[in-house]
Order: sequence, then C-alpha cells, then structure tokens
Amino acid sequence: MSKLVVVSAGLSVPSSTRLLADRLAQATAGRTGAGIQVIEVRDLAVEIAHNFTNGFAGRDLAAAQQAVAEADGLIVVTPVFSASYSGLFKAFFDVLDQGALDGKPVLIAATGGSARHSLVLDHALRPLFSYLKAVVVPTGVYAASEDWGAEGLPERVERAAGQLAALMAGPARLPAARTAQEDDPAVVRVGELETVPFEQALQALRRPS
Amino acid sequence: MTMQFGIFSVGDVTTDPTTGRTPSERERIKAMVAIALKAEEVGLDVFATGEHHNPPFVPSSPTTMLGYIAARTKTLTLSTSTTLITTNDPVKIAEDYAMLQHLADGRVDLMMGRGNTGPVYPWFGQDIREGINLAIENYALLRRLWREDVVNWEGKFRTPLQGFTSTPRPMDDVPPFVWHGSIRSPEIAEQAAYYGDGFFHNNIFWPSDHTRRMVEFYRTRFAHYGHGRPEQAIVGLGGQVFMRKNSQDAVREFRPYFDNAPVYGHGPSLEEFTRETPLTVGSPQEVIERTLSFREVAGDYQRQLFLMDHAGLPLKTVLEQLDILGEEVVPVLREEFAKGRPADVPDAPTHASLVAADEAAKAAAAAGTDAGAGAGTTAGASTTDDKEKETAR
Repeated sequence: MSKLVVVSAGLSVPSSTRLLADRLAQATAGRTGAGIQVIEVRDLAVEIAHNFTNGFAGRDLAAAQQAVAEADGLIVVTPVFSASYSGLFKAFFDVLDQGALDGKPVLIAATGGSARHSLVLDHALRPLFSYLKAVVVPTGVYAASEDWGAEGLPERVERAAGQLAALMAGPARLPAARTAQEDDPAVVRVGELETVPFEQALQALRRPS
Repeated sequence: MTMQFGIFSVGDVTTDPTTGRTPSERERIKAMVAIALKAEEVGLDVFATGEHHNPPFVPSSPTTMLGYIAARTKTLTLSTSTTLITTNDPVKIAEDYAMLQHLADGRVDLMMGRGNTGPVYPWFGQDIREGINLAIENYALLRRLWREDVVNWEGKFRTPLQGFTSTPRPMDDVPPFVWHGSIRSPEIAEQAAYYGDGFFHNNIFWPSDHTRRMVEFYRTRFAHYGHGRPEQAIVGLGGQVFMRKNSQDAVREFRPYFDNAPVYGHGPSLEEFTRETPLTVGSPQEVIERTLSFREVAGDYQRQLFLMDHAGLPLKTVLEQLDILGEEVVPVLREEFAKGRPADVPDAPTHASLVAADEAAKAAAAAGTDAGAGAGTTAGASTTDDKEKETAR
C-alpha cells in the first residue's frame, strides 16, 4: 500500500486547515488506496524550535521526518500568516534532511480569512517546494472562510487530488537523487550511512578540474 | 593503561551568567594552561585544545599553547580538538606539529577536523563547498610530508611542491598519531578507516543512536581496509559533565550556566538535554555510570575526552571539577572499562607504541625478505598494512 503523508500546520483545534487537509487526503486516498498519516505541526512546535538550537531532532520530530521521507505523496496545508505560509510551517521544512523531498509529489494547499491571499499558493508555497525539488501538483487548493459555504471548493479538491493520485501512481514519478545513488554499486553503505569508497574520492581529486 | 582519559577545550570567552563577569583573553588563555596543568596533576592522560579564528574564541595558535604546556608537564599527551585540515596549509601543519613532537618528547597527537565556522574558509582563501575534498587532499599531502623525506606533489588546492623536505623530520621517523573528528560525515569516518587512523565522534550534543551509527560505520570500514577486526578500530568519544557530591547541588549550581550557555542555552531544558545527550549533571557516581554506558553505544574504545571549561564556568570551579574527575571518577572508569575488555582490543596509540610497532614492522619486513616469505606478526599489524599501502601508492 502506498503512503500518503499529510502535513497540517493549523493552530486551533478544530482548525479549518486540518479540515481542508482531511478533505484532500480522503479524496486522494479514495483514488490511490493509500494509507494516510497526518502530521500536526503544532504538536511538534517545541521540538522544531529545539532542532534549531540543538542541531538534532527530538523523537517525535524524527518520526515525522522519517514519515515524510518515506511518503509516496505529500499533502501540505498551511494557514496564511502575514501574506505567506506560517513561520511554523516553514520551520518544519527547514529542519528536514536535505533531499527528503527530491522528486516527491506534493499537493500544496492553504487557508485564509478571505480570498485576497489566494495567490500565496503560487507566490510562497510553490517556490518553496520547487526549491526542495518536489514535484508540485499543478492545482493548488486555497480555501477562504467564505469557501466553506460556497460552491467550487469540492471541485478544486477533486481536481487536485486526482492530479496527486496520478503522480503517485504514474510513470511521471521522478527518481530522486537518493534512489539513483542506491543503484550505484560503488556506494559503501553501513546501516543508514553511505559514502563513496575513499579511493574513489581521492581519485576524483586527481582528475584535472 | 587500557584507555586514555582527558579533557578538551573549545577555548571560548564566555560571560559567567551568575556574576556577569567576562574574563579577558589573557585570563582565558592562562586559564586554559592552568586547566591543562591540572589535568596532569590529577592523573589525566590527554589535554586537547580547539582551533578557532574568530571571537569569542582564543586558541588560534594551538602549537604555541601546546608547546608552552609541554614545557611545564611530564606525562600529559597534547592534542587538538580539532586541527583545521581544510584551511591550514598542510605543509605548516607538518612542520608545526613535528616541531612540537620533538619539544614534547613525543607526547603529541592531533585530531583533524573541518571546522564549523563558514567565514573561516574564505578568510583563509578556501571554499566551504570543497570542505570534504580539502580534508581529503590536504591530509593525503600531510601524510606524505611526514613519511617521505623529499616530496614532489601536485594537487587541486595548493601550490605544487618540487623537491620539498618538511623539517624537522618527525621524531624517530614516526609521525604523530592522527584522529579524525566528525560529527555527521561518513566521508570522514571512511577516511579514518582507510588509513587505519583513529576516529573521534564528538557526541556531546547528539543522541546516542547517531553516535552508534557513525562509530559502526567507521569500525566496519576499518576492518574492510584490513587494519584488524571492527572491534580493534581506534575510537574516541566526547562527554561533558558537572559534578557535586550531591546530585541536587550539581543541578542547582550548573543550571544557570546551562540555561545561558551560548551553545545550548535558551533551548531545551537541562533535564531534556541530559536525557538525550551525554551531558551529565550529578554526583560522581552518576557520571561514572553514564560514561560506562558509552561502551554499549561505541564498543570498547580508546579515548574519552571531557569538556569541562565551558558555559562561562569560572576557573576555580573548573579546577574543582578536575579534582573530582581525577580523584573520584577516572580511577573507577579505568578499572571498570578494563573489565571484560578483550585482550586484542588495542590501547590508544602513543609515540612509544607507534615506535615499537614501526620497529616490529621493519623487523618483520627484514625477516620476510630473508626468508622469502611474509612473517605474520600480530604486533603492529595495522601499522604494517598502513605502511604497505603508503608505499604502494
């Protein structure tokens, strides 16, 4: 069974961010049969802050990071704060291991008080996940308060979920840099750590640059 | 002696949060010397100084400091934590530490590191993105400078050398032992394993699982390169402790230093930090138990260094801590770590042991030539392998 991981950065309980996250997750799982794991970034807030000061992840944060790394697809949802994603949402992705999102299908979504911030998807979230080398689903979903009592949101949810499901299943799934290295017989691996054999590293320096 | 115990200093100038007093650079430099002398006095084996090139750190010139300490000590091994193999000229490292080795009668080894201050690279004309490659190339050159009388060399990062002899030659033609320190780069563990050098994991800010993975990587690769079995690899670990007779007194006294420390202050609580990392604040007995547990993470190892002079602790307190460490903790650790330690797990290399291994290797090689067959002796086996590899290249 494929794995769908949802990162929801809502702060209140219940939160409309989580509500949107759940609807996107259900719609995606309905098409892929994927198992869903939800990460509430709020619950990791203190460990994330400590990760910045300490340099290492606490137990719950490490488990969340591993879930993200192992996911076949990701749904990320943030409330809009000061014309962008929330600081806590960004902080979660700041402390992820480098390359964790390489080639991974990601559906971006956001919630806000009014429709005036809907372009946050394309001005803030899309560049962030492009930088992280994720494959961002063409349709992002923005839900303002008014959308919860209006037409249109379910269709956008379905369209985005369909695109994510296609990326998760389809041939469009890009190999991540890591996968490429796993196929390289020259790479030395002990437990979770790997590197190129020393002779090879030394040789690389002898080649004229 | 089975294991070596000692201290390593970062050399930071930090305000004492309980008094608001900041020592001058001169005071801090003299304090580092006093701490090193105390280490020998209380029976510790090693003093290692950091190397930094920016405030608030004072030790930019390790061999000057270690040379001075060498003159005032008899038994202490002088080391570094770490020597910047990335931004120092390997030629100067070869010269400086060979000079120190003679002055200190062989009581010298080094720990190579890449440094963690970004601007140091450009300040010394290097590029941080080449950090690993600088460590690999510079160290390869350093090894040759210490082992070959005349070196012709050309590389990617440094001016070529034609007919260069690094002076003075290493004492007894045996270079100082080298450790490689790295917190999270398997490339460096691989380098240490390749040469059969020591690997030091400065675990003081890291959960034990991470240390376990790094040490296991090094041990596995050490065996792969034919230096011995994984259990025979040369491993060092860090630690940081604060002790009082009663655990509660230690916690009460250390808490303001912890809460305001530049490195971990204003982050997780003292309790969380002591649970997740090797930091131990409590009675000498608690420090003993915690330190002994490192063996479960890293296996039988060779060198344990404690960070004692940090977070703005005043010199007087640090010296008291060293008294407790030397009198109550390390003697018990020596005894307990020796229990159940397999006889073929090597001691931490010293100049004397390296000279002996070198002579054994030469004798074996001579016997081998005479008899026309390899004389397989166990003594200094790893050094033999090392030498062969070196000449083969």
